[in-house]
Amino acid sequence: MDFKLTDGVDLHIISTPQFKTNQILINFSTQQSEKNITARSLVADLLETSTHKYPTQTALARQTSSLFGAYVGTNVGRYGNLHALRVRASFVNDQYAVPGLTEQVISLLHEMIFQPLIDNNAFDEPTFNLQRNNLRSSIQALDEDKQFYAAMKLREIYFADNSLLKIPSFGRLSDLDELTPESLVETYRAMVTNDRINIIVLGNVDEKRIVEQFKQFEFQPREAQFGSLFYQQELVATPKVQTETQVLNQSKLNLAYQLPIYYQDADYYASLVMNGILGGSPLSKLFVNVREKASLAYYANSQPNAFNGLFSIQTGIQSDSQKQAQRLIKEQVTAVIEGEFTAELLQEVKDGIINQYETSLDVSSNIVEQVLLDKITNTKTNDLAKKINQVTTADVMRVAAQLKLQATYYLNGDLN
Amino acid sequence: MNEHHYQQLNETIYSQQLENGLWVQVLPKMGFHKTYAILTVDFGSIDRSFIPIGKDEPITVPDGVAHFLEHKMFEKEDHDAFDLFGQLGADSNAFTSFTQTSYLFSATEHVHESLDVLLDFVQSPYFSAKTVEKEKGIIGQEIKMYDDDPNWRLYFGLLGNLYPEDPMHIDIAGSVDSIAKITPQDLYTTYNTFYQPSNMNLFIVGNVDAQQTLDWIDKNQAAKSFDQSTEPQVEFELNDETGGDVIPFRTLEMDVNRPKVMVGVRGINVVQSGKAGLQYRLAVELLLDILFDDTSDNYLRLYNNETIDDSFSYNFEMQRSFHFAYFSSDTDQPERFSDEIISILEGATQQIDAAASQFENIKRAMLGRMISLLDSPEAIANHYSGKLFGGTNLLDEITSLAAVEIDDLYKIATDFIQSQGISVYQIVPKRN
Repeated sequence: MDFKLTDGVDLHIISTPQFKTNQILINFSTQQSEKNITARSLVADLLETSTHKYPTQTALARQTSSLFGAYVGTNVGRYGNLHALRVRASFVNDQYAVPGLTEQVISLLHEMIFQPLIDNNAFDEPTFNLQRNNLRSSIQALDEDKQFYAAMKLREIYFADNSLLKIPSFGRLSDLDELTPESLVETYRAMVTNDRINIIVLGNVDEKRIVEQFKQFEFQPREAQFGSLFYQQELVATPKVQTETQVLNQSKLNLAYQLPIYYQDADYYASLVMNGILGGSPLSKLFVNVREKASLAYYANSQPNAFNGLFSIQTGIQSDSQKQAQRLIKEQVTAVIEGEFTAELLQEVKDGIINQYETSLDVSSNIVEQVLLDKITNTKTNDLAKKINQVTTADVMRVAAQLKLQATYYLNGDLN
Repeated sequence: MNEHHYQQLNETIYSQQLENGLWVQVLPKMGFHKTYAILTVDFGSIDRSFIPIGKDEPITVPDGVAHFLEHKMFEKEDHDAFDLFGQLGADSNAFTSFTQTSYLFSATEHVHESLDVLLDFVQSPYFSAKTVEKEKGIIGQEIKMYDDDPNWRLYFGLLGNLYPEDPMHIDIAGSVDSIAKITPQDLYTTYNTFYQPSNMNLFIVGNVDAQQTLDWIDKNQAAKSFDQSTEPQVEFELNDETGGDVIPFRTLEMDVNRPKVMVGVRGINVVQSGKAGLQYRLAVELLLDILFDDTSDNYLRLYNNETIDDSFSYNFEMQRSFHFAYFSSDTDQPERFSDEIISILEGATQQIDAAASQFENIKRAMLGRMISLLDSPEAIANHYSGKLFGGTNLLDEITSLAAVEIDDLYKIATDFIQSQGISVYQIVPKRN
């Protein structure tokens, strides 16, 4: 059931007896800017640390603990050009805990969103300093995951010089020093006042009572009209190449292609099938030929991003097999473009995608994410199986032909 | 077919031991789309010395054999089991731990066929010199990938301190050198010894009818012939039961931004098996929560003085023949971190007194988190620990939790936390 709380603030309730837990997702989205990405990431950390009523992490944790270990937290992400700050809760349904648990959790979310630890127009300074240090540390620690590191480097090279998508959704170190307890209050207020808000509730819940409770959230009407959700950029004539050497046991070879097919475009489902054939499944050409037959890698896979047009391939290899791996990867792309795959493989990949989708309907947080995606893109996912099954060999070839190599990043581990 | 209904949790488990010894459990989840099935062999990386079936003398196989076997089970002479699942639209995978090897699939259709594929590929070995050689390249890359992960190195570094002479300190996948020695004969020997139906269990959760599912499995198994079952004779003995061999401290330089530190506690005491073992595990977990979770005063103090941050975590692992807890964080004050953690552990009795008012709350939170797991077919099935806890499952765990009292924690604390079992491992930034 859909319910409009005010202009720009929508509530969607999925009442189902399937699960023993309930999910609540409150998504704040806005156009991303050079200034707001890192600031919103830190605001998210502050909102989940403390509130006026629960002024320390411990006080807040004791409250969630008494709510049968309810998970209540925040995170940030992005949908193409939009930045999303999300407040999320996951908790046991009243019938397995105590009557009124759902209402208590919603009250806590209200407290977190409307009563953060702000006094005299500034976030509590010790909390601010601590969380800023923590965000800095956690961004730095990401470099230790070499698979993630290589993926981030590839993005940096792939996205155009003036692109905001070069900035990770969780922020960047160079912005942190400029943030203050006062400036973050502005970021926070802009978010609560101007963002587009989608609230999604799923579980064995009483819809009427949920609506009544969310009506009491003090959201004012907002315009919340944004430009295009989907990010596009010009093709470069010569693919960019970057190599870096570190003392590592394994090297990483990652390739970035542009694939200008966006969420729910006419060719969207064909792009999912194409990905499954090229590198998105254990049946795929990359997995079978680079890993299984050539024995070059432990992982070799691909993934499309239907919001920014980046199609990436990643592998973990021996440094002396870089050239061979690169050649093999390009051969697999060419093979898909030329339709060198069997009808059986096509069908198996389709069945796999359908199986994965239906399986995702058994995970309540996935259902919530899917509904949010539908709301943000103003589309509806239905007949997925039918649309996937309609994809033909010719569709896959046509989609693959649109892959344009744009960048290569090679992390050379000189130990191996 | 045995039927056990858990009224408060609104779930029912059906179970049966087949004639060949295979244990099967089914938990129907109506309203779910998928079915998840996991076939587990009671054989893991630490089981490297054993008496091969039909022989009298123990042998020792190269490190990483259990994991290598897991990889190679999928490949047959003329096909690959991955492909068969693919043809059915099912997802399949496998994993190996210290004491278990598991094969699994999840499917929304063709559940009967997928179950047959699962049982057939795990029960029909095919290893050749050529395919074994080829796999060494793939697994070699898997090992190297983990070697570059500082958190993995931290974990195995600590295990190297806690069990320096026992197989738990060795990477489950082995090393590039040890896997180079693996032969098809090693794989056949371990397979024949451990992959007997009586040494396996199959757990199925999802959109299935229990009786029908059991009939399918029964039919599949009845069509095969197995040798008379023989309990695998694993030669496992701790190097030093008293923990006298624990290395108190080691450090490693690596390319990290900040130091990482892990404190470990090796359980020296012998824990009873069966349900008593399960009770012990729950009590230790509650003890750790009361001392260290984010509702504790300890946590707030260490967080606010920047000894720990959001990277802080702790865990308790209990498996066949060993158990240990570990605490870790990225921190600029690694010495202070280990001093604080050890001091809290050694003062556990007073700490329990101080935190007693939080006990019911903590228990309630654990109960809530365990109930949440019931929404995940994977979590229910993967939680089953077979013989270790006397065939109990996640639902029994939830039921047992209520019986743990704060008084139990005092005894558990003195049993579990013993000074000679405590150790520290650090990873510090490389000096340039």
